[in-house]
Amino acid sequence: MLEKDKVVIADRAAREAGVLLGMKRGGVLTLSPETAMYERDIAREAAAQREVGMALLKFSPDVALLDEATVIVEVGASLRLFGGLLSLCRQAKSMLNTFGLTARISAAPTGQGAWLLAKYGQRHGGARRVLQLASLERALLPLPMLAVPEIRPFADWFSGLGSKTIGDVRHLPRAGLQRRCGEHLLYSLDRAFGTAPELFGWLELPPTFSARIELPDRLEHADGAVFAAHRMIVQLCGWLCAKQLAVTAITLSIEHERGRQALAPTLIEIALGEPTWHEDHLLHLVKERLHRVELAAPAIALRLDASKVDSAAPDTDSLFPEPGGSPEDHARLIELLIARLGDENVLRPAPTGDYRPEVANRWVPVSQAANNSTFPDGLPRPTWMLATPMRLLMRQHRPFYDSSLRLMSPAERIEAGWFDGELVTRDYFVAQAEDRSCYWIYRERISSRDAEEAPRWFLHGLFG
Amino acid sequence: MPVSAISAEEIHPSLWRASQLARGRGHMVDTGYPVLSTELPGGGWPVGALIDLLVQQPGVGEMRLLQPALSSLGERPIALVQPPHIPDGLGLRYIGLSLDRLLQIKPPKATDALWSAEQILRAGSCGALILWAQHAQSSSLRRLHLAAQSSETLFIMVRPLTAAQDSSPALLRLALRPAAEGLIVDIVKRRGPIRAEPLSISLQPTPVLFSRHARLSRRPLAEVVPRSLPAEVVA
Repeated sequence: MLEKDKVVIADRAAREAGVLLGMKRGGVLTLSPETAMYERDIAREAAAQREVGMALLKFSPDVALLDEATVIVEVGASLRLFGGLLSLCRQAKSMLNTFGLTARISAAPTGQGAWLLAKYGQRHGGARRVLQLASLERALLPLPMLAVPEIRPFADWFSGLGSKTIGDVRHLPRAGLQRRCGEHLLYSLDRAFGTAPELFGWLELPPTFSARIELPDRLEHADGAVFAAHRMIVQLCGWLCAKQLAVTAITLSIEHERGRQALAPTLIEIALGEPTWHEDHLLHLVKERLHRVELAAPAIALRLDASKVDSAAPDTDSLFPEPGGSPEDHARLIELLIARLGDENVLRPAPTGDYRPEVANRWVPVSQAANNSTFPDGLPRPTWMLATPMRLLMRQHRPFYDSSLRLMSPAERIEAGWFDGELVTRDYFVAQAEDRSCYWIYRERISSRDAEEAPRWFLHGLFG
Repeated sequence: MPVSAISAEEIHPSLWRASQLARGRGHMVDTGYPVLSTELPGGGWPVGALIDLLVQQPGVGEMRLLQPALSSLGERPIALVQPPHIPDGLGLRYIGLSLDRLLQIKPPKATDALWSAEQILRAGSCGALILWAQHAQSSSLRRLHLAAQSSETLFIMVRPLTAAQDSSPALLRLALRPAAEGLIVDIVKRRGPIRAEPLSISLQPTPVLFSRHARLSRRPLAEVVPRSLPAEVVA
């Protein structure tokens, strides 16, 4: 990583090749020409910090972005909810993994102290997570004095005095320090040790959520966007938690590479039946939807918008959970099925009042509102209906399907549909084959015009 | 004490002798047919396990066979995944199923069907899941069986009769054949002794109810004679 043509960060491979911090670009190229060099981008760093801050809102509403790529979260009130400090740190770490970032996580009773521990803690042999002010003091005193940003301008002067650690600086007379170095230095130290109140500029939330990620490479398949989408979903969940909202519809747009002419971004609208703020569920839905999408052109960026939000209703913690799971579980299952199979493939029965069996047997998408109409009971109908009636062969003047069929019921005459152009004139019978399975067959009633034709029989249903 | 005097279930509840039926562990749903229930380990359909129904072709009466069990599941939904034909809502109501609880899932591909079945089992919110599958690899069967074990869902797979040759992790496998009164059930696999002779089960409602042949055969002539001559008239 280069800043102003000088190496500021070098990874292990580069260090082994002999790259040192502060080297010039030419020097690096001489040492190892295959080293990948990147220019430091302050704006993108700040954006990443902001994204992390947004995601960390899941743990607490108080999140502040501080200097030197540090985010501070006030978790005092959240410890019990997330199962203690260790488990909270673990969850935060796995959240940062979804961003593809690594972080040092520290905890301390003061924000400034936590900042110092995170930056310089374990490197100097101390604990990184402390809970008491007294142990914080023990952990902070041996840290190098340069850890405190306010000391750095006076570094030479302090080393002239023989100070090396924060403890050495703290033992110097306060009055003299204040006169020579200004009040900021003392105030900063006091905040770290918990003797002065701390004030942070907590992260302000945008009223609407919209996140955009530029992909590191062109993407040919929508499946590859899952990682980037996960990053944005984590942020969305943080935003929702902080705002105490739940999302009912999200829009994922995939921006395409600009070819000869600009392509409109591919929009994936995901409407949820039940407001949710659960990361896993949203990720599942997005994954299944992305699986189905065909990209018209390579994608270069993703954008996630929360298009509809609702206020969140917390889970009820009933003492004895139902064996079949809650209705919310079922709604989540239905959403997942719809996301993968499509709305038209997850159906519920909604029979209509019509004499024609194929019209009466109507299945509508589950998402459609229910309309309950009553129907006469005891209408003998088959369990299975063929999508298109099958013309039956005739053997010895009997309909034939694997074996010749014997009629087992009086005819049911159905004649309807003259009003919408799909006239049916049929006599339905129950027929039994030689292996004793039953079929629902009909004879097309022929008008007097073509009476000389033989009657045509069709198979329409099976009694399952 | 001789070895034979110790009953197997005293050693461990999941042990049974080859000559006796296993005791069902976990939840059972009554089949609604006493003839069948007495032949099944635990006296009913096992919940949370794979059950294979093997049929020559769909429409031999498998839905009527399952109807009492499905109706006893309360208000939990019933998922029909990849049905062979269009299920007829009125027909299902005719055999006694409540339409509000039915859910039809039409996956475009066979892999989607297996995926949907697994998701439904994992969510566990459906009372019953009936999956129609033409071909299923034994690995996917095992996977579904495993998913079923963690749920409280009655899981039934309806597969072609030829699949009886292949091995299956199912706890219970029944082969169904149509018969005059209803069904003939062969128990292909169960936790218990092999049963050679098939069971005959009469299903209600039978579609031939309105037939004049059926009406004749059900009411013997001997009954008709005394009714036509009431007692007081004779006296």
